[in-house]
Amino acid sequence: MTTSNVVFLLIVTAGAGFFALNVQRLVRYLRIGLAENRTNEPGVRVKNVLSIGIAQSKIFRDHIAGPMHAAIFWGFIVLTAGTVEILIQGVFSDFSYDAILPEPVYRFYAFSQDGFALLVLGAIGFALYRRLVLHPRRLEGDKLEHTDALIILSLIGGLMLTLLLTNAYAYLAGSTLVGPEKFASRLTAQMLGRSVTSPGYWAGVFWWGHVVILLIFLNYLPYSKHLHVITSLINVFFSNTSGPGQKGVMRPMDLEADVEQFGASDVDHLTWKNLLDGYSCTECGRCTAACPANITGKPLSPRKIVINTRQRLMEKAPLATGDRMEFIHPRLVHGEGGATGAETASQVLGERLLDNYITEEELWACTSCRACVQECPVSIDQLDIINQMRRYLVLSESRFPEEIQPAFESLERNGSPWAFSPADRGRWAEGMDIPTMAEAMERGQRPDILFWVGCMGSFDDRAKKITVAFARILKACGINFAILGQEEHCHGDPARRMGNEYLYQMLAKDTIGTLDRYDVKTIVTSCPHCFHQIGNEFPDFGGNYEVIHHSTFIERLLEQNLVPLQGEDGKRLTVAYHDSCYLGRYNDIYDAPRATLKRALPVVDIVEPKRSRDRGLCCGAGGGRMWMEERQGKRINVERTEELLATGADTIAVACPFCMTMISDGVKAAESDVPVLDIAEVVAGQLVS
Amino acid sequence: MPNILVFAETRGSALRKVAFEAISAARALVDANGGGQVHALCAVPSGGAALAGQLGQHGADVVVTVEHPGFANFAREAVAATLAARAQGGGYRAVLLGFSAQGRDLAPRVAAKLDAPIATDVTEIRIAVDAVVVKHPVYANKVIATLQLDGPLVVLSTRPGSFAAVEAPRTATVESAAPASDPSGEKVVVKEMQEGGKGKIDLGEAPVIVAGGRGLKAPENFKLVEDLAAAFGNAAVGATRAVTDEGWRPHSDQIGQTGRQVSPQLYVAVGISGAIQHLAGMRSSKTIVAINKDKEAPIFKVADYGIVGDVMEVVPALTQAVREAKAHS
Amino acid sequence: MKIAVCLKRTPDSESRFRIAANGAAIDETGLKFDIDDFASYAVEVALQINEKQGPGETVAFAVGPDSVQETLRKAMSMGVDRAIQLKTDATTYDGLAIAKALAAELKAGGFDLILFGKHAFDTSGGVAGTATAELLGVACVTAASKLEIANGKGTARRELEGVAEIDEFSLPAVVTIDEGIARPRYPSLKGIMAAKKKPLETKPAQLGQPRVTVKKMELPPDRPPGRIIGDGVAAVPELVRLLRTEAKVL
Ligand code: SF4
Ligand code: SF4
Repeated sequence: MTTSNVVFLLIVTAGAGFFALNVQRLVRYLRIGLAENRTNEPGVRVKNVLSIGIAQSKIFRDHIAGPMHAAIFWGFIVLTAGTVEILIQGVFSDFSYDAILPEPVYRFYAFSQDGFALLVLGAIGFALYRRLVLHPRRLEGDKLEHTDALIILSLIGGLMLTLLLTNAYAYLAGSTLVGPEKFASRLTAQMLGRSVTSPGYWAGVFWWGHVVILLIFLNYLPYSKHLHVITSLINVFFSNTSGPGQKGVMRPMDLEADVEQFGASDVDHLTWKNLLDGYSCTECGRCTAACPANITGKPLSPRKIVINTRQRLMEKAPLATGDRMEFIHPRLVHGEGGATGAETASQVLGERLLDNYITEEELWACTSCRACVQECPVSIDQLDIINQMRRYLVLSESRFPEEIQPAFESLERNGSPWAFSPADRGRWAEGMDIPTMAEAMERGQRPDILFWVGCMGSFDDRAKKITVAFARILKACGINFAILGQEEHCHGDPARRMGNEYLYQMLAKDTIGTLDRYDVKTIVTSCPHCFHQIGNEFPDFGGNYEVIHHSTFIERLLEQNLVPLQGEDGKRLTVAYHDSCYLGRYNDIYDAPRATLKRALPVVDIVEPKRSRDRGLCCGAGGGRMWMEERQGKRINVERTEELLATGADTIAVACPFCMTMISDGVKAAESDVPVLDIAEVVAGQLVS
Repeated sequence: MPNILVFAETRGSALRKVAFEAISAARALVDANGGGQVHALCAVPSGGAALAGQLGQHGADVVVTVEHPGFANFAREAVAATLAARAQGGGYRAVLLGFSAQGRDLAPRVAAKLDAPIATDVTEIRIAVDAVVVKHPVYANKVIATLQLDGPLVVLSTRPGSFAAVEAPRTATVESAAPASDPSGEKVVVKEMQEGGKGKIDLGEAPVIVAGGRGLKAPENFKLVEDLAAAFGNAAVGATRAVTDEGWRPHSDQIGQTGRQVSPQLYVAVGISGAIQHLAGMRSSKTIVAINKDKEAPIFKVADYGIVGDVMEVVPALTQAVREAKAHS
Repeated sequence: MKIAVCLKRTPDSESRFRIAANGAAIDETGLKFDIDDFASYAVEVALQINEKQGPGETVAFAVGPDSVQETLRKAMSMGVDRAIQLKTDATTYDGLAIAKALAAELKAGGFDLILFGKHAFDTSGGVAGTATAELLGVACVTAASKLEIANGKGTARRELEGVAEIDEFSLPAVVTIDEGIARPRYPSLKGIMAAKKKPLETKPAQLGQPRVTVKKMELPPDRPPGRIIGDGVAAVPELVRLLRTEAKVL
């Protein structure tokens, strides 16, 4: 072993040791969060890692930044093999894969190294150009964030350059290891010219340069947003945002638990996974760019929610864990928004994530549309943090926009978020000869299907027309169904979305009791919120039913030719369909409503607005926003309606009673007279009379 | 039939409408039960005798005037004590008051002093052999209860507007009496009376609300709504959420689930379609009038009276008609 | 300050009522009961006063069968410290009897302030509060829409027909609370949990023989169905006529 080998070993050990210390520190910080099991269904998790992580499927949703990032990412993976070779060379100077790999494989390896080095250099160049010249809006961070990004890009650039230069000089020094496959290295050598003196010396210098930059890079990561380089794949593995389990299902809370508080007001009441999300955020801003609240000028930014979580964690965790390495307390971690961070220990302990970093207004602005979750390339669940904090506000402090109190009270007393008498729930069905479950049972009948009408469908005059339309279709197809009538009441979803888990569980458990009493197996509903709640969230409380949204149900009926439709009436319609969040992003139902329209209407053109399907913009009613005032910025429904009207469609179709209200209001605000119809109404309009 | 003692309510030195209604109710009762006398008691700072004529006109046989400068304001304890003292004097089957702000306060006090059973806000009274039977709307008028009061002397207050003030002229004997306690030594002292009426009437208290919706098309057209409210005189102006969201009206004017929940005597919805959010805030109004150009609008489902038409034309016409009606009444 | 709040448990105001088989009560099946609206304003006012004035105690009282315990718990979940149920077999329409039961209990309680709702949604009498004050011989303001307590004195505002009256009074006192005074707080889950552990005492109510009894309950005649009386300006005179003669609001 030469001196240089020994020096190398010392440096690498120091570098790796320091890195290990940081990793261990970061893991310890995560432990201040609450426990949560995220290892179920490892198969699905590995699949997510392969598709979202390795294949970068979400990264590619952005057609410009996507390929660029993928090039760097894949380059990194490929080049890691080379890095390992270089590290071994540090100890055994003459080592080369050449010695252990079969010839063709080695040649391919050698080629890939140079190929990806070039690709990465190109991508870095483009990234720098984008940051320094183009300035896309979603990358607007603070100064620290910019410096951080530039440092990282330079380090990666440096790694690639030193790699090529080491090889080039080695080639000039006559190394046989730089074969023609290392074309870029040879090209570099050519540019350097044959006249350089002592190429062997320079090869050594750049080799050392490469090693040192590598170690700097590694140890810089824990202080930077580029921690995601290490955590993102891990985060994708532990994430639930693309399964396992149904998407967007809120975690049930144990309300009997003897805990000091319900919900989260600070990082130690979030789960370790929420905190890992903080480590993993790349600050790409894709979430915020898709957020309807942010787009329309509300104070909410999902990116800020995640960044603030990390910022606060980095501030509080050292104190909470008694970290003696506080001197390396990552001041580099920057924030977003007004909060500058606490200076002294007592200040740190006196502050918390809620209020000091994330305000109530931000939390209440969320429509729970899941656009942020959908967009995030590293499977971060911004919405989960928001929901946990809303729960704290309501359950622990009873703090919420005052206008939702009547909704809570009415849910408690009348079983509907609006103060309507439960006795009037079944009124829409008067004269339609639709039995209630109770009536059917009394007559000794067993309905195959329960039509869950929902509160909007029962009480809102516009939505009642949808209810009637759907009931007419069911009857025309001879479906044996019943309703609950007076026995139906809200399943509690609005309360849950507004953070009132207590009220939600009361209503949900009661509803499950009613459904089980009638031994209900299959439920159809025209409301996506009821559909999601009963179908996806009730199982956590022991309610298991097959729930079918009316768009899917009607489509199946149409497919089986069960619906007696009129023929061609010569009208040509151009329809723009608005995707409901709870149907689309929560349940991946995008095609059924469109297919229903196509099948039911003889001549129809379906046009898509600027944002549609899984990128569709929320109507603004979700997350309990239906019961809140929209005091700031542009109204979300107006923004959305403008997009829909811009398609030039002569009809707008929806598949949700809440979307119906919001989009109809938007159309009125735009002083347009384009009709807004539910798909059930479209189909009912085609029934033979 | 023994006599009935009525509290002849005044403000300042003027009799109030509820006083005549209570006297008429008492008159009808004694007449239906074999005759008896109606005694009216008024507590005024001065000039009590001058009221006797009016009271006699409506059927009071005896007018008891209690004068004291302390009665210039509402001296609740002294009035209650005086009424109770007079009732205790004997010979009365019932003490009647109007269910007004004063009557709400006085009746329970009198009942407690006399240890007499009490029913308030009654709409019908019957005197049977050994009991008094009344009708009293409960559950915010959604149910009518028939109550029986057992005892030789009962205290009742009559719902304003339920008993018509009818004339039954006679010349009342005037008696004067001293207050049973010193009106200037009350535990509750009136510091100030603030005249309302001129300023803005609060939505929660206004007997009439005129509310405008998006059907008004532009903020300046809210003038129509304001004019109609002004014609009623006792009306407040409200708006739908769409309108307050647009900034045409302040948020404090919003009626609905996310705004104020109101139940006035009369609610006039102008250019309001009747979204669920709005209905949740006004459906319990006693009478609802809707004016809207779309005859399919859901507001017509809850309205007692609807006019289909252009608000720009209908509302000014209605304003004019209301002004005329008010001028004649 | 030591504040008493007297509560009532009543069905939700949006309920649709049916008459019970005996014809002298409402059918309670399916009705949702809660703390009476006016009483909940009173609770809020009491809590706010004690929050502002520093250490004090708020005690809730209710006269009624065991079902009122739920209502008392609700008040405690809002922040009331303890509660006392004066137990009876059923709700009574005899307001004076309730006042007597309450006064007997409140007399020795040493309360600076005793709050009631202006009236309760069910009996709609508005008797108990004022009569209690009379029986206790303390000052009483009915239907206050604003209330302030400072230096052992109270100031209240009452909205009368078209005028507002500002009253000043000495303590102890009874005040009955009108709407609009304060929005009752929504109990947090923390509060609900805490309320389960707060003391709730049950004592027999000294009601005596009720002298006001319900003979009959009936539903008022149905509101005539809404109708469209016409199109445009031509319908205005008919509307005014109906408002004057049928609805009697002009
Ligand atoms: S769920 Fe929707 S509204 Fe909420 S933060 Fe995410 S993108 Fe924004
Ligand atoms: S949360 Fe996800 S989408 Fe949002 S900035 Fe971070 S990495 Fe990007």
